[in-house]
Amino acid sequence: MSTPENVVELRDVDAVFTSGRGRARRVLRAMRGVDLHVAAGETLGLVGESGSGKSTTGAVALGLRRPTSGTVTFLGEPLRRARRRPGAIQAVLQNPHWSLNPRLRVGATVAEPLAARDGRSPNAHRDAVRRMLEQVGLPPDLDARHPHELSGGQRQRVAIARALITEPRFIVFDEAVSALDVSVQAQILNLIRDLQELHGFGSLFISHDLAAVRYVAHRVAVMLRGEIVETAPTSVFYDVPRHPYSRRLLEAT
Amino acid sequence: MNHLLRVDGATVDYTTRHGATRALDGANLTIAPGERVGLVGESGSGKSTLGLLVGRLLPAGARVGGTITVDGRDVLSLRPGDLRALRREVLGFVPQDPVGALDPTLRVGRQMRLALRGSAGEDGNPADLLERVRIDRPDRVLRLYPHEISGGMAQRIVIATVMAAAPRLLVADEPTAALDAQSREEVTGLVMDLAESEGTSVLWLSHDLRAVGRWCDRTAVMYGGRVVEDGSTRAVLDDPRHPYTRALSRSDPAHAVPGRRLPAIVGGPPTLVAGAPGCAFAPRCPRAVADCEGHRPLPLTVDGRTVLCLRPETETTVPSDVKAAS
Amino acid sequence: MKDTATESTTRPRNPVRGALASFDALTLTCAGVLALLTLAAVAGPLAGVGGDPTAIVGPRLAPPSAEYPLGTDSLGRSLLPRVIEGVGTTLVVSAVAVLCTAVISTAGGIVAGYHGGAVNGVVMRIGDVLYAFPAIILAILVASVVGPGRTAALVSIVLVTVPLMTRMVGAAARLVCVRDYVTAARISGVSAPRIMVRHVLTNVSGTVAVQTTYALSVAILVEGGLSFLGYGVQLPASSLGLLIQEGTVYMVKAPWALLAPSVILVLAIVAINVIGDSLRDRFEPRKARSL
Repeated sequence: MSTPENVVELRDVDAVFTSGRGRARRVLRAMRGVDLHVAAGETLGLVGESGSGKSTTGAVALGLRRPTSGTVTFLGEPLRRARRRPGAIQAVLQNPHWSLNPRLRVGATVAEPLAARDGRSPNAHRDAVRRMLEQVGLPPDLDARHPHELSGGQRQRVAIARALITEPRFIVFDEAVSALDVSVQAQILNLIRDLQELHGFGSLFISHDLAAVRYVAHRVAVMLRGEIVETAPTSVFYDVPRHPYSRRLLEAT
Repeated sequence: MNHLLRVDGATVDYTTRHGATRALDGANLTIAPGERVGLVGESGSGKSTLGLLVGRLLPAGARVGGTITVDGRDVLSLRPGDLRALRREVLGFVPQDPVGALDPTLRVGRQMRLALRGSAGEDGNPADLLERVRIDRPDRVLRLYPHEISGGMAQRIVIATVMAAAPRLLVADEPTAALDAQSREEVTGLVMDLAESEGTSVLWLSHDLRAVGRWCDRTAVMYGGRVVEDGSTRAVLDDPRHPYTRALSRSDPAHAVPGRRLPAIVGGPPTLVAGAPGCAFAPRCPRAVADCEGHRPLPLTVDGRTVLCLRPETETTVPSDVKAAS
Repeated sequence: MKDTATESTTRPRNPVRGALASFDALTLTCAGVLALLTLAAVAGPLAGVGGDPTAIVGPRLAPPSAEYPLGTDSLGRSLLPRVIEGVGTTLVVSAVAVLCTAVISTAGGIVAGYHGGAVNGVVMRIGDVLYAFPAIILAILVASVVGPGRTAALVSIVLVTVPLMTRMVGAAARLVCVRDYVTAARISGVSAPRIMVRHVLTNVSGTVAVQTTYALSVAILVEGGLSFLGYGVQLPASSLGLLIQEGTVYMVKAPWALLAPSVILVLAIVAINVIGDSLRDRFEPRKARSL
């Protein structure tokens, strides 16, 4: 149902990939009739096994991939129009090692989305960057450092700062903590919860890690071969998973 | 007991422009033939250094102390020819970044044949090897260049090549860290299955407690360049005795109590220097007492595992040598 | 809550001194050889070392002496100024050509790597077609179209070196383009050209430097080969290839005429390759070294 407080809504989305030519041609239906919505201030956890289509769903929600059919709306308007306002949608991606350009200083990286939006130089946003670094629990003078001088946890905090600096309404976390050390994972998951309370963004938290999803998500959606087979509030889902596949996933952990 | 690998009091020091740093601070570890050992630790704990040390693969400039014995051979005193023989015949390494381990100018097939030359896997047919790592249509893959394949595929190719030589000890340094989360489980399972069928011992370096818990017989936890807890995986991960292992296990979201905030370990990993007194974890340790700052903990046997701590989580009788040390 | 960076690599304080100190003696020697050749090619003609390269000054095919340090050629011209001029011609033609290659390949490789898919396919296939021709055949083809001379040598070198370098830069760019920071920049709405310059170019610059060096050695070889066959630099100018060709004619009677340009050609190519290897070890380290 389209309600005004939904930041993102996918309705009946199909995504079909083809690869190869001639006899080698393969057709893969990565998303089949996917319906999902994320409300402001809410985290939707998206779980599933390898190849279930959850990363494709993230890419479609971010506007990186156009769905084959179906509609994607952002704050009630078509996503493609929303993409013309850079910075309204952001993402924190998988690998903290590759999430930052090794050649750029932290300050330039964090300022980039702002610079892309207003066309000014990254240096013009120095104060905003330093405030943002502080908010994600980093010392502001880290802005002069290069990524190779940071630990994995610090890098992922920088990636979060870069995503938050444009005050997005919607953030996709795609396996954002899976590559981190366990004790750092806990720090970052706590940070995500705190920042969401502060900023009220809606978020799609994609992960194969059901424990992490349970900790941060308000609702959980389970994907299997491109379809969402179950959506439920987190507490309900982890207590009484309804779909047999959900039960299998939970047993595997 | 007959050990395939025995690391005794290993130390590694580097001198950088910013002064001396210590990567290993007296680490002990043993692996029996056929055993699968998970070496758990955060970045900077020294686990990668220990992994490389097994094959004496550290960068030039590293100063090494202690002894490392592989298959009865003293690794640190081997001559270059014998060292190469050891690496070729006994050891196998799976790197973290598989794409970086492949030569971008060579097709997969040619590079596999080059890598296999002179090893026990020389007669292996690359296509058959790829089939063993469950790659569909291996003939097509052999004709591709490294930039045309995915990270998961590249890691399978590396694994196929390494395992073709049937090493006695496989050292895998976070082999799944560079892969997307989906391929991790598959690749881990693959390595463990292959190792089991060849009777290969595995030293699995990882920060993923749950993966280690699933696949490894024994778990050794590293902190600050030392192995601080070492015992059967079940004992170490389910019922830790070292305060660090316990804090680590508690901060795992899998152990989160609904409605309660995850207890993250405060602070960051230590920067080590040679000859530092005390326990490296003391500054972050909830159980630390004054003694912990000034006295290096010695190995204690607690509930069937070895713990490096003056005050392990459940009190047991303190052996006399620890008293003497304090 | 504060993480401490423990795996940070150290950077030298003085970049120039640090960079020099970090190369081994062999590489520095090779760089010295190359610098010396360049200096000779630039300063030699200006200072008039050995006199006018085109003037007939002495007996024909005279052996090296105090007057003619490298001997004379079959027309009685002193070889020293001719060799100096030849080194200059070869280096200039090769360097200009390689510069063109670097620009074309870097741009092509980055665009191909960024767009991937069809664009990547087209660029790489063009490269494959060019790569399939043996270098010399390609060069002769070019010479027959634009006529023998410097231009032919230049275009040939570019055509010979572009495919491989584009492939290498393209592969490096492809790896960079799938990195999360590029995706994050795209999501944030950063424009494609800006991403290519700010993120991709800066991260393939190491590969570009390495491949440019290798291309330079190939260029010198191709120039030599073409001039040797008479399709490259034309008389009365001189180049290393041309001098070697002249030298082979009187190889038995006057081996010195062949020796000097050949030795210089080999030295230059070896030096450039050593520098290339050293740069590659720097920018694309593959394996940790043993103790």
